[in-house]
Amino acid sequence: MKTLYIDTSSNYLYTAIVEDNNLIAEVKKEYGHELSKYALPDIVGMFESTNTEPKSIERIIVVNGPGSFTGIRIGITIAKTYAWSLNIPITTITSLEAMMLSCKVNKYYVPAIDARRGYVFSAIYSDKKEQILAPCHIKIEDLEQKLKDIDDYIIVTNDEVEITGEKTSYDPDIRLIVDYFKDKENINPHAVNPDYLKLTEAEESKLND
Amino acid sequence: MKDTYILGIESSCDETSASIVKNGREEIATVISSQIDIHKDFGGVVPEIASRNHVKNVTLVLEECLDKANMTMDDIDAIAITYGPGLIGSLLIGLEAAKTLAFIHNKPLIPVHHIAGHIYANSLVKELTFPLLAVVVSGGHTELIEMKDHYDFNKLGGTLDDAIGECYDKVARVINLEYPGGPKLDKLAHIGKPTYRLPIPLKDDSYNFSFSGLKSAVINLAHNEEQRGRELNKEDLAASFQEVAIKSITNKVKKAVIDKNIKTVIVAGGVAANQGLREEMEKLRDELGFDLSIPPMKYCTDNGTMIAAAGYYAYKLGRRADYYLNSASSTKLN
Repeated sequence: MKTLYIDTSSNYLYTAIVEDNNLIAEVKKEYGHELSKYALPDIVGMFESTNTEPKSIERIIVVNGPGSFTGIRIGITIAKTYAWSLNIPITTITSLEAMMLSCKVNKYYVPAIDARRGYVFSAIYSDKKEQILAPCHIKIEDLEQKLKDIDDYIIVTNDEVEITGEKTSYDPDIRLIVDYFKDKENINPHAVNPDYLKLTEAEESKLND
Repeated sequence: MKDTYILGIESSCDETSASIVKNGREEIATVISSQIDIHKDFGGVVPEIASRNHVKNVTLVLEECLDKANMTMDDIDAIAITYGPGLIGSLLIGLEAAKTLAFIHNKPLIPVHHIAGHIYANSLVKELTFPLLAVVVSGGHTELIEMKDHYDFNKLGGTLDDAIGECYDKVARVINLEYPGGPKLDKLAHIGKPTYRLPIPLKDDSYNFSFSGLKSAVINLAHNEEQRGRELNKEDLAASFQEVAIKSITNKVKKAVIDKNIKTVIVAGGVAANQGLREEMEKLRDELGFDLSIPPMKYCTDNGTMIAAAGYYAYKLGRRADYYLNSASSTKLN
């Protein structure tokens, strides 16, 4: 089984081709605002260096957020266009799940992405990887409140977020992530869309009117 | 000669569109998903909302377009994409989809400037003949461009501040017309009479335009009438504004046609749908005797058809982009 993995939800491009639990090509690079320029050429580069035909991909796993709104859309657009046009099974996972799975410490996991103005995108998973708090856009104080009753947890983040507790940085183990989701149900490519976990500012201020 | 089929993709503002055009002249199938009803509630296009809708719609639009044409990607010779100018987040969706399709189907990728698209919308009506003058009028542009050949763009002049379409929308807001107010203002102008005195902007020897002074004059006029307790006649104000706005464009077009010995004038961009502008351009044609081409309404607003048409001529000239092609919110026409 040949899987293409794409995550553009942060400043980094994380992409790989995984075949039968082997990582055959991988790119992990920080691009920031240039992600839209380099994401596809880097993906193409993986196909070229491994002599992989685009049509030979049997599954796509794409991260649908949370994270950078523009960033998420880049990966989602590439993935859904690819899957729709070549009729390839596709599924989505969250960036928070990818962060949780890549942390090898056996504790409760708190992946966190800076959402500015005292907020983070976060979730809580148990040491058995069960979801305790679903992915959400949450005030840091409120998250800390929820963490009070948990003895041993680790915050997984690449951002400067002021959450009390032990922290570790995030470096995705894409082989492991792909393997973990090997049986996840596929979805219609047209329905592959970002899950921003937050309304646009225009919509929020309309609600507050 | 073998026929050439170009798939054009456009997502620079609030329309997600895909179209297949044969030999740059014949529309095979077009799909446009407009977000006007979504943005209407916000009084204008909200960039983040536009981007969110583009990503939702993009593959649906592409699929419907191919289905309508009864074609597959195998039948397509090249993919033309609007790379700019426009809303960056919106542009990116079309761009990433186009780059991905080019890669997985091994097709040439043709970069198309949005304004080139508006100009080449005219080639769907009749073949462009040179030298020509392109009058580009839209929500973001007001430009006079001289063309001596395909993709040979010489900008004679442009707006120094607001674009004509932007000015229409802003004036429409003064008299409480719902977004997008420009076309509604055009309709009202045909009912009213030009009884209000407004200054003709930038009466000079350049090919440039200026619309912010005219906009301010309308705002001041509305304000003064209100202070005097007089009710503003919306139809007459629309007619007065339209007369002056259009006159400022046709004055400069007339100058360019005479100075540059132009035989063909084409009108391009969303404001080409303006009835007042169409009528005045026809009068000018009758006076000066040039050949006038204005695309039908459906090709005036943003669409993939014009991008595919412009893409065809770029394709024939050997213009290609690699996978590093990026979107640009502002970029020079070339």
